[in-house]
Amino acid sequence: MKNPTLKNGLTAGVIFGILTTVMFLIGFNEVAAKLISKVFSDQNFTKFPQYYYFGIFMVLLGIWNGNIAAKAEFKRKNDLLSSLIASIIGGLIAGLFGLILSLIFGSLVEQQIDVRKYLVSVSPESIKLFLFEKSALTGGLIELGLSIISALAGGLLFYLFNAVNGVNKAKQSLFKNYQSLISSPKTKELLSDPIFKIAMYLLIAVALIVIPRNWGSYWNYVFGTVGIYVLLGIGLNMITGWAGQLVIGYSFFFAIGAYTFAIFTSPEPHNLMWNFWIALGLGVLAAGLSGLLLGLPILNLRGDYLAIVTLGLGEIIRILLKSDLLTDFTGGPRGLQKIAGPTLFGKPFNSDVDFMYLIIVAVLVVSFLAHRLQNSRTGKAWYAINLDETVAKATGVNSFWSKLLALTLSAAIAGLAGAIFASRNQYTGPDDHTLMVSINVICLIIVGGIGNIPGIFLGAFVLKGVPEILREIDNYRMLVFGVLLIVMMRIRPEGFLPLQRPKLEKFVKPVNPEGGAQ
Amino acid sequence: MKNCIQVNQVSKYFGGLTAVNKVDLEVSEGSITSIIGPNGAGKTTLFNCISGYYKPEVGQILFFSEPIHGLPTYEVAKMGISRTYQNIRLFSQMTAIENIMLGQHTRLTNIWIDSILGTPRHNREYKRSIEEAKRLLKFVGLQGLGDTQAKNLPYGAQRRLEIARALGNKPKLLLLDEPTAGMNPQETTKMTSFIRSLRDDLGITIILIEHDMRVVMDISDQIAVLDYGEKIAEGLPKDIQSNQRVIEAYLGPDVSLLTKKYQERKRLRHAVTN
Repeated sequence: MKNPTLKNGLTAGVIFGILTTVMFLIGFNEVAAKLISKVFSDQNFTKFPQYYYFGIFMVLLGIWNGNIAAKAEFKRKNDLLSSLIASIIGGLIAGLFGLILSLIFGSLVEQQIDVRKYLVSVSPESIKLFLFEKSALTGGLIELGLSIISALAGGLLFYLFNAVNGVNKAKQSLFKNYQSLISSPKTKELLSDPIFKIAMYLLIAVALIVIPRNWGSYWNYVFGTVGIYVLLGIGLNMITGWAGQLVIGYSFFFAIGAYTFAIFTSPEPHNLMWNFWIALGLGVLAAGLSGLLLGLPILNLRGDYLAIVTLGLGEIIRILLKSDLLTDFTGGPRGLQKIAGPTLFGKPFNSDVDFMYLIIVAVLVVSFLAHRLQNSRTGKAWYAINLDETVAKATGVNSFWSKLLALTLSAAIAGLAGAIFASRNQYTGPDDHTLMVSINVICLIIVGGIGNIPGIFLGAFVLKGVPEILREIDNYRMLVFGVLLIVMMRIRPEGFLPLQRPKLEKFVKPVNPEGGAQ
Repeated sequence: MKNCIQVNQVSKYFGGLTAVNKVDLEVSEGSITSIIGPNGAGKTTLFNCISGYYKPEVGQILFFSEPIHGLPTYEVAKMGISRTYQNIRLFSQMTAIENIMLGQHTRLTNIWIDSILGTPRHNREYKRSIEEAKRLLKFVGLQGLGDTQAKNLPYGAQRRLEIARALGNKPKLLLLDEPTAGMNPQETTKMTSFIRSLRDDLGITIILIEHDMRVVMDISDQIAVLDYGEKIAEGLPKDIQSNQRVIEAYLGPDVSLLTKKYQERKRLRHAVTN
């Protein structure tokens, strides 16, 4: 591997070749075609055949490939020709992967062999799509050609944006202008102006009132789910993100809230049918109390031990809810049904818009509480326990009670989320409270940026909203989850929006840090 | 002068090992006491017993005549005993000023419900604690670095920040575990005068563990020497310097023989060169 141009092209090509292969083997090409057809609002492939959209996907992939190859080469040597050669090599290598795949699977299809026995996702339709509905050789050559051409295009695009002087300068000056706009004193003045702040708050309030009315029940459903996960995220963040105690079976408290609420409002086991708000309060209280009582014996455990114990709790509650033992209270595997919706001044509100309002109010109230706590004496004590429990104790923090408080509050918030969730679905059953709920919540606070409230909003949207919007990739949700977490841990371990410490000392000029001690 | 802290016959065992063995120590208010001894002599264990991190199996520790042995660490801190650590243990992800504000934890009374509701008590204390933290930052010479994360501060600054955090507790007794470890001579001199100013300006009683003998001899009113968990000597710096048992503890039991041999060889070499 003496020739560096060859090497750069080869690296990108092999990576993208493997990517193409993996996507083919998991049957992602059909999904990709569907996703792209959605962009062109042609979901039933009436305007163009399906392989047309698949071609677009392959071209995009190829452009990316060429771009990366050219970038690697350009870093080494500022030269148009060698960059383009690298991207062509990249395209060639990735295309060869496509060609080989086409030849192997194309001939298998032509011999009527069903490979689904060994590779579950590789259906004959998927292979035909990969071959652009042509024969094995023609399809493979199309793959190869597309890959090379698109990689070349990618290389050219990279060159255009980074090396051509005018474009490059325009890009840089745009970035500079943006930077100076952000950091200019006038912007800061405007941002700290109380009237501007009030106007922004009003704008947000109007948006929050108007939007749920107008965007239809589907979006209300999606963002209602996101809102409930935001609640769960803020709750778990209190004990795990701030106080640093890894609680895995968080769905325990979610279940307590949901079932308490359900028992008091459902006609099924006891026909209590209490008022919505009283039942909601009881749900929150019961969950908080369960957090308090559970915390007493387990919060002296540290780190992994606590995680294992809480993991057990999450499983216990799921099995208990399913068991015949508690059927009188929980309805067994059927769960509790016909749970009442909220009423306000005797007027029931059961529409999706009303629930969206309820969730928005709950999210606002809870994030306000969390925000107030974050940098208070309590919040600082939690964070100190997270960072170094021994020293926190020595500085006077009663770590046990602090952790217990964090767990109780966090459980109460989970209870609130559970009660709202049960009320919105008018149903709650054991399947709503699986380990997956807990794992989702942990993932969302880690991806969003552990400890940071805006990060939780982002994390909830990315992990619960986006998969809901992109229904097509539903089968790959777990795969994307895993890949996302690995990639996050590698390139941005602190999350999308990492926690920032507040600026409390507003001095201008620092003195020499090694200077006088007097 | 009143006794600030009185350690009576304190012993601490780890399994079969006696880390601290029947140690007595009396420190009068407003004095600087050094605890010295070879590695593994039980100095830090004694500190841990005083600050409540360990519960001594035998003996009593009285702080202004009140027993504190067996109290949890946060109670001990509340009574007015602060400490620093041999290897700096700041809350590294927090800013310098937040570290000091945590040091004030015991001196604040607002609880979580205050913070949520924004009661006057919370607002008043919050403002006051920031002011106080700024004052302490200035006192230890870290003015302007308050918003830096503790882990990003230079080494000497971290040492001083740790002391500032301890001072946030308004301590009556300050335990310093090797405050000049890893410092160059200039920094050591500064730290020494800083420690003295803590006593002179703030009236804090100080106990320090230290290996740098120049520091120890310079600032101590009283020195206690530990070896194998036992106190082998106690007294004024000049007494300790000439104490035979202390020299033996540091240099080995045959030190007098060694010195004789050394002097003999020196005399011989002197004779040869002449």
